[in-house]
Amino acid sequence: MTVVVAYADTPPGHAAVRAAAEVDGPAGETVVLVSAVRGEAPPSTAEAEARWPALAGRVEVEQGDLADPSDRVVQVAQRRDARLVVLGLRARTPVGKLVFGSTAQRILLDATCPVLAVKPEPEPA
Amino acid sequence: MTDAAFSALASLASPSLLVMLVIGVLAGLVIGLIPGLGGTGAVAILLPVTFGMEPEQALALLIGALAVVHTSDTVAAVLLGAPGSASASVTMLDGYSMARQGQAKRALSLAFLSSMAGGLIGAVGLTVAIPLARPLVLSFGSPELFMLTILGVSLAAVLSRGNVLKGLTAGFLGLLLGLVGTSPTTAEERFSFGSLFLSDGMSLVAVALGIFGLAEIASRVGQRRVEEKPVELSGGWGSGIREWLTHWTQVVRGSLIGIWAGVLPGVGATAGTWLAYGQAVATAKDKRKFGKGDPRGIVGPESANNSVEAGDLIPTFLFGIPGGVPSAMLLGMLLTYGIQPGPAIVTDHLDLMYVIIWSFAIASVAGAFLCFLATGQLARLTKVPFAVLGPGLLVVMLLGAFQEGGQLGDLWIMVALGVVGFFLKATGVPRAPLLIGFVLAIPMERYYYLTTNLYDGYGWLTRPGVLVFAAVLVVPVLWAVAKRLRRRSGEADDGHRDEHEADEVADDTGDELEGSLAGTGWSLGVAALSVLVFGGALWASRSFSDEAQLMPQLVAVGGLLAAGFLLLQEVRHRSARLSADDGPLAADVAGPAPGGGGTLVAERTGTAVVAATRHHDLLVAARTFAAMAGFLVLVAAVGYVSATLVFVPAFLLLVAWVRPRTAVVYTVVLGAVLLALPSLLPVDLPMGFLQ
Repeated sequence: MTVVVAYADTPPGHAAVRAAAEVDGPAGETVVLVSAVRGEAPPSTAEAEARWPALAGRVEVEQGDLADPSDRVVQVAQRRDARLVVLGLRARTPVGKLVFGSTAQRILLDATCPVLAVKPEPEPA
Repeated sequence: MTDAAFSALASLASPSLLVMLVIGVLAGLVIGLIPGLGGTGAVAILLPVTFGMEPEQALALLIGALAVVHTSDTVAAVLLGAPGSASASVTMLDGYSMARQGQAKRALSLAFLSSMAGGLIGAVGLTVAIPLARPLVLSFGSPELFMLTILGVSLAAVLSRGNVLKGLTAGFLGLLLGLVGTSPTTAEERFSFGSLFLSDGMSLVAVALGIFGLAEIASRVGQRRVEEKPVELSGGWGSGIREWLTHWTQVVRGSLIGIWAGVLPGVGATAGTWLAYGQAVATAKDKRKFGKGDPRGIVGPESANNSVEAGDLIPTFLFGIPGGVPSAMLLGMLLTYGIQPGPAIVTDHLDLMYVIIWSFAIASVAGAFLCFLATGQLARLTKVPFAVLGPGLLVVMLLGAFQEGGQLGDLWIMVALGVVGFFLKATGVPRAPLLIGFVLAIPMERYYYLTTNLYDGYGWLTRPGVLVFAAVLVVPVLWAVAKRLRRRSGEADDGHRDEHEADEVADDTGDELEGSLAGTGWSLGVAALSVLVFGGALWASRSFSDEAQLMPQLVAVGGLLAAGFLLLQEVRHRSARLSADDGPLAADVAGPAPGGGGTLVAERTGTAVVAATRHHDLLVAARTFAAMAGFLVLVAAVGYVSATLVFVPAFLLLVAWVRPRTAVVYTVVLGAVLLALPSLLPVDLPMGFLQ
């Protein structure tokens, strides 16, 4: 089984990777990182392993064929027949949401498997 | 209104129109197969042929070609994986994968049928637009028309892909080019530098063919040849046709998106097809096969790219605001016939509108039919390297540009603009706003003076129509600001369903050059040169009388601002990049590329390789432009036919490295065509002074 992470190089994105590493599942489950930011490449496998040692040996990085981030994440999840999609949420004002839409929302709506949405840990005051 | 529609259909049955339509369709299909020409190339090459024809015949020819260009451009995309035009690169994603799985006929039949339906739905859209827009158009006075011209240029500048400042700079450059020549209000010459042929203004064909046509030739002559063998034309037509019927909702959706993209100025076929693709992906439940041969990835975009051309015509004919580059040229053509698009066309020339609509519909069906019949043979054409086509195209284009004014000077301008077009293209500056600005410059000025003469003071500013357009003008500005904010505030959640922007970075295999020089010293140079041009224009316009001075000064000041900011941006990027290069984490710090997509790819593939290709591209382009200039010198000396007989074989042997036999046959055929042409069509050949 696989877990797909909607990856972004931001605190919510990192929280999503950590959550994917800790999620209960069969041992040695593959974690696939897919970039959820337009035009940005996910880190290489080696970089990801160095940053999250918990994922060593079972992390993969996929480019996908699509440019739209939410479609890309959903596509990879469907292709890999993923058990779960993990994504990080960030705070956004209602106006910001109205103007820019939300990748997270569309992944939640379009994904054909369960989705785990996590929030970054609050910054130490 | 129905009467007018059916009498137009009856007139299309007359042999002279029908022949033109057929010629147009055939020419359009062939042009669609040649990489890099697309709708712009089709109209630009055929436009000079129409000089001297009746407007109906000319329109039947041009519309016939425009309607089918996007039908045949799929062939190369599907069979070779090298799109015939930028907009077909979308079809390539799924079409080429499908063809490699041995289902080329399935992919092609899906594409042809969708193109046909897209064209038909586009024609219906055009028909529906007439009665809807008619009362609106008739209520317009010169203030509204003035606002519309501003709107046309600024929307084109803002909506063209990439950097807004680059779009605006291009728009102002176009306006400035359009102002060259005799001022419409005071009959004094502006920016003509005492030369006789510039006092008529620059020729539309020379500008369009230079900025787009010659620039395209120069950038593609050196392109790597297609090494891959074409995929075999296998599979059955039937299964594709049956399958297509099940995707009719995608067809309708794709076509409507295409029409909308067409109506917006500056959003052309390429952006429209990406939007349609994004839409198809977004609405699909099962996204697994997209990019690996999903029929829905072919049907939607293919419908869209044909209906875009129909959508482009809506604002062009009803409001006089071209929706894209090909329609900007059509607009210029109508103006030379003395047909003023806008209110006049819905009252006096409604029959012409219906000729256009019927031509579009008939051509769409005929084009798809011909594609089914002849794909096997046509596919071979796509394998001809561009370097071989180049000299023939060059000879045809230069001859075309000569027809409008009969001046050799136009050809020099055209080559010079070719150089400009090449650098704009290479540095990622959109060229559509430039051409739209060029076409709209004089109407803008004329409507402005009509307005100020008809209305006292600024009373016209409060007319409701003017206010609405002013509001529409502000929205794109806010949009641009919002876009910037989004870029600043970390963008994990950029929500727009648009396959276009980023895909261009990764998949724009159709165009290796586009934007490849963005962010380098060259784009800095382009920005600096624009500043100089606008500054010079401002300085030169001081000597004009008050009335003739206003527009050039406004344009020059606006251009100075846009180009100045662009220059600032380039300088800042450059220093940021230089300091980033020193650091150990160069690639990380440099971040996403500004403006053009080329640099993003650059950072991934290694700077050395990119620099080498860049150098190679520039060298080939410089050589090609030098060859063009040499050709013009020859023409001036010994006349067109003799010059062609020398230039073409030389180019073929030295640049394209074809076999001598091919070069001889090619030259003889081209020479014979040139000799026969004046007796078949109203075409003049330039004479040399030695003749």
